[in-house]
Order: sequence, then C-alpha cells, then structure tokens
Amino acid sequence: MKLITCPINGTRPVSEFVYGGELRLISDPQALDDQTWAEQVFYRNGAPGIKKEWWCHVPSNTWFIAERNTATDETLNTYLYGEEDSR
Amino acid sequence: MTGFRVSPICDAMRLAQRATSEKMAKPSSEESLIATEREINQMRFAQGNSSGHSTTLGITDLSFLTRFGVKGAAAAAWLHAQNLPIPDAPNRWLPLRGGGLIARLGFNEFLIEDSINSSIAPQLIELSQHPPAKVYPVLRQDAAIALGGSLILDLLAQTCSLHFRALNLSECPVVLTTMVGVNVTIIPGEIYRIWCDGTYGVYLWQTLLNIIEEMQGGAVEFEQLLPL
Repeated sequence: MKLITCPINGTRPVSEFVYGGELRLISDPQALDDQTWAEQVFYRNGAPGIKKEWWCHVPSNTWFIAERNTATDETLNTYLYGEEDSR
Repeated sequence: MTGFRVSPICDAMRLAQRATSEKMAKPSSEESLIATEREINQMRFAQGNSSGHSTTLGITDLSFLTRFGVKGAAAAAWLHAQNLPIPDAPNRWLPLRGGGLIARLGFNEFLIEDSINSSIAPQLIELSQHPPAKVYPVLRQDAAIALGGSLILDLLAQTCSLHFRALNLSECPVVLTTMVGVNVTIIPGEIYRIWCDGTYGVYLWQTLLNIIEEMQGGAVEFEQLLPL
C-alpha cells in the first residue's frame, strides 16, 4: 500500500488523496507576449524528477504541497502551502 | 405547519425490513417486530431492536441529534464568544457542558452536536442568522451513526485503512478518513461516532450492517449505546 503523509491528518493510504497537478508559479499575463503566455497555460513539464505538487486529503479537504520524485514515486516531503520555510 | 425530516438512514431500515418480511412471508402488520420508527427532534428515523447485540457489536442511527456547522477565519472567536470550549488543534474534540460535543475539523471549521438532552445547536443556528464577518454557517445534514460493543476494532479493521488501536484516546482525537469508500468523520471512544454525507447514509448503513451481522451483531436502539 502506498502511503502519503498529510501535514494535518498524518500518514494515510494513497487512496485517500487526489493529485492536483504540479505547483506552478504563473507570471502576470500582461507582462508576457502571447507565445510565452500560451506556453505557460498549455505546456506541462513531463520530465521525471523531484517536483512540487498539489495533493488533497479528500476526507478532510486538506490541500498541501508534496515534494515527490516522479521517477521513483517517492514522496520526500509534505507541508501546507506557504509553510515550507517554517519547517 | 409542523414539518418533520426523515433520517438519511431511514430508507435503509425500511428496505431491510421489507426484505426480511418478504423472506419470512410475514404480513406487513408484523413488520414492526423487525424495526420500529420513532420521531425525535422533528426527525423520523428507524431503530433496530436486536436487544443484546450492543455488547458484541451494535449499530444505531443518531441522525436525529441536532447539529450545527460553522467555518471561517473568525469562527473560533465567535464560538468562544458563545461560551463554547474550543479544541486547541484541528482533529480534536471536547465535550460540551450540558451534553453534546464540539469537534474541530480543521483550522477554521467546527461541528457542534447536541446530546439527546441538550439544545445548543438550535441556539447557534438562530444566532448565526446574521453572522459577523468571516463566520459562515454550514448546513449539516449528516447521516450520524454510533457503533458499540467489544468487536468494534475488528469491524474497523475490515472497513478503514487506519490503525485505530494506535490512537491515544486521552487526546480526544477526531479522525477524518474513508470507510468502505465513503468520506467519514469518526470520534473513537467507548462508542464510536461516525458522520458522513447524508446521501451516502443508506450505503454506509447497509454495508456496515451486513458485516456486523456476520459478526453476530445487529442494529440496536440508540438508548443501548448512547449514555443519556
């Protein structure tokens, strides 16, 4: 059974979680040309590696950030958004 | 006009009652031997009457208890102003003076439920008609269940992916997890309280009852489980 540690609810089976996509910082669309903006909206980084991702613990609706190695599917760290520095 | 509500689990009891009476070829007038319908807090609900099962494994419907939900950044301060104790961390609960409980479901979300004898939730519903800023009442139409008996942990081992034996009950934990695929809130203790979205009530009740009956338990009257 794969496990993920929710920062609020503790370690739970992966079946209690849903994936919310990679954490991406979106630039101001007014400051970009159309081509760069379109790339930000439509392109995703599919290369394997350690990524910051949004995950949600569904029973409590807790959204948090997980740092996950997408090549090995290891979750390295989890924390609430904005609390990375406080850890 | 006096209206009444119907427990989300009532239909499950009626279906089970009908199936049993058909199986036993009993006339409908004798269905009351299998379950009885009652009304408390303007809610109609069905109760099993398998007396004696509460010691091994008993399940009962507590959806009729009045409850109140609230969320928002100022919810804790507002509840404190209403003289309610506030659990100091998410996923903790506290008993209320006069009966009932308050559960902290997150940093800014709370569930308050009355006991059979208290009426705090209706007062809070009334007070929240014009809430201050950052206080948002939440409509709670949960299916509420209680489990009791010596085989509770065996039942939970079959239906949840959480190690309940490892919980420290002195910390008054609230567990938000999934049970037979349904998102539930559980408060463990001498009896286990379970809340889920009312629309899943029939499924959750029927699934739990099937397993409970395999374990020689059954549906019981709430008085057998709930301390009055």
